[in-house]
Order: sequence, then C-alpha cells, then structure tokens
Amino acid sequence: MAEDKGMQMFLKKMIPKVLKATVMGLLWFFLLYALPTLFLSELVEEVLPGYTQLLSIFAIVIVFFVVVSELLAGTIFQYAFNIGKALVFMAFFIYALNGGFIAFDLEFVHIEADLRVYLAMLLTIDFLGLAKSLLQAIDFLGKKTERQLAI
Amino acid sequence: MKHAIQALGWATTILWILVILFSGTVVYSAMQIKMNFEEEHQVTTSDNALTRSIPFSISNGGLYEISELNITTLIVAENETSISRSTSLVPLIPKTSTVNEIHNISVSLEDILDKNLTYLLLNDTDLNVDMFIALTYAYAIPLKISSNLTMPWGAPLYNLAIGGISIVSPNQVNVSLSFKNHAFFSLNGTVRLEIVDSNNRTHSGTADIFVLSEDSYDKAIPVAMEATPGDVVEVHLYFDEMYLESWTLVMAIG
Repeated sequence: MAEDKGMQMFLKKMIPKVLKATVMGLLWFFLLYALPTLFLSELVEEVLPGYTQLLSIFAIVIVFFVVVSELLAGTIFQYAFNIGKALVFMAFFIYALNGGFIAFDLEFVHIEADLRVYLAMLLTIDFLGLAKSLLQAIDFLGKKTERQLAI
Repeated sequence: MKHAIQALGWATTILWILVILFSGTVVYSAMQIKMNFEEEHQVTTSDNALTRSIPFSISNGGLYEISELNITTLIVAENETSISRSTSLVPLIPKTSTVNEIHNISVSLEDILDKNLTYLLLNDTDLNVDMFIALTYAYAIPLKISSNLTMPWGAPLYNLAIGGISIVSPNQVNVSLSFKNHAFFSLNGTVRLEIVDSNNRTHSGTADIFVLSEDSYDKAIPVAMEATPGDVVEVHLYFDEMYLESWTLVMAIG
C-alpha cells in the first residue's frame, strides 16, 4: 500500500518533468536541427561540407543537456549538468570554429576567415552561463543547508 | 545571490539574441555584396611600362561596412619569377553603397629583360596570376580570399626569324626579318641588324618597325657592305623600341 503510494507520488512528480523535457527537447531539436537543415543545408553543404555533421552534433548535445536538465530539475545535478553544458559548448565552439580561423574552397577561390572576435562573443556567453550555473549551485546548496539547520 | 543569478541570466539571454542577430545579419549582408570586374580593360603606357587598368565596382548592399579592402595581383612566370605585383586599396565601403575603383597591373618589359625572362619576348606562354583580396567585414571579421588563374601571354616577337640574305648590289645585301606580334600592345621603334661574318667583320643596317598587335612583320633590311662578306656567323639584332629599349638579341647562324 505504502509502496503504491510512493510510486504514485514518484509518477506524479516525474510525468510533468518527462513531458516538459520531451516538449523542450523537441522544440530545441526543431530550432537547432530541423529548421537549419530545411533552409541552410544546401548552402552549408556547398560552402562548408563538414559543418552539416557538426550542426547535427551541436543539436544532439543541446537536446541532451536540455532534456537532462529538465529531468533533474530541482536537484543539484541540474546545475552540475549546466556547468558541464557550458564547458562542453566552449570546447565545441573552439573545435567547430577551428580556434577562430576557418578556411574553405568555393570553386576556384580559397577563402580564409578570422572569426576570433565571433568566437570570443560565444565564449563570453558560455562564461556567463558557467558563472550563472556555479552561483545557482552554490545558492541551491546554501538553501538546502539552511533548511537542514532549520529542521 | 538571487539578483546576481538573475542578472547573469538576463545578460546571457540578451547576448545570445545579439549574437544570433549578428550571425544572421552577417550572412544576409555577405550575400548582398556584389563584385563586378566585367568592365572593359584599358591599356596605357608610361615609363616604359604597360599598364592594364581593370575597372571594378563593389556594391555593398549589406548592413555592415567593408573596411581595409586590399586587392593584390601577382603575375608569376613559369620559373616562379615575379613579373608584376600590383595593389589597390579601398579604405572603406559604406553600407548600401557602391564603390568604383581601378586596379592597375603594370608590366615592365625592361624588368622582364633584367630578370632573364627573354623567352617571354619570343614564345607565347601562360602566366600565373595570383590574386589576393583582404578585407575586414563589419569591423569584426577579417577575410582573405585568394585565387590562382592563368593568363595567356602573347610574345611580341613570336616566331622571330632571319630569312635569306640576298645580294642587291656589290655594296648592299638585304636580310629578311620576320616575326608576328602576339602581344596586346603595338611595337613602334627601330631595329638595327648587324651581321658578323667569318672574318669577324661587322656589317649593319637599320629599319623602322611599326607592328600592331596580332600583325606580322616581314621585311628585308638593307645592310651596307664595305667589302665582300665572308660566311655569316652571327646576326645581332638591336631593338630600340618604346618597350624593348636597347634590347640586343644574338642569333648564331648555321
């Protein structure tokens, strides 16, 4: 009887999280993979052939972190995964933009772009995200300790 | 703590929106840039150099400015010797505007002679043209574009040949000289022909040359003889022409 009640409580708590995670995952998948593939795939494939694969990996990584973050909402692991997400994105951007220097060939023309400023913008955002997640984790742990002390 | 977290959250969201907007507008703007190199080229001469002026226009229909545009062309012969290096600079192309400029490529035939590339005067060939374009887009993205093309080179003295020597009088022979001007410029000047015979005596004659581009030259040059010539060993050709200033060609006969 008590086990059934526990199960019911768990499901009651988890089903909205799973639903929210599914919706968020689908939304991000649509925004980051389906839409760019629909509109930009031919252009990207023509200009930067290797980048279609990178776009897919980026979408998969984002969807993974969004889903995990939603499922672990309300726990310290949510913030831990957010910190991990910021670090993974930093590494991903540095890899995808080849450290800020990308080169490609378009018919008989060779093009080199120095995207260090653009990379710096992306890394700044990730640093802010990292700082936010760290503060959230500290805040979460602080509040948890306060609650335990109050009990 | 709460306010700091909120502030960081807002900052992250705003920066993401700005970066996404910037990325989108940069891609859109880059697609609105049009370069036109199709206007007719002009060929002019100055200081013994031939200058081909290539008018071009850049239409920047995008939302960002193009700055520090540098167009450099490097013409290189088969043996990697540089023949010409020309640079054009455009400091700024404002957004939604068109800039018309001229890129001048100068080739000095004197330089060609100095660099021991005389085969270019006698044989048609293909020259390598390395083109480099550097610019900064939106004051944030430096771009380098390079391309390698080949350009046909027409020799001004293509198929240069000394024909038969015909005796006109006891004091004069005619030496026929022929070539075809495959160059894109005309030849205008004089040629002095010197015959060195087996007795090591020289006999010379001079003729005017005026050969338009793609025209042939085939004339007999009268050479004065003070004495009966021995066998012809060498013929020296001295060009005194606008581009081939004081160029000497020695041809061994037989």
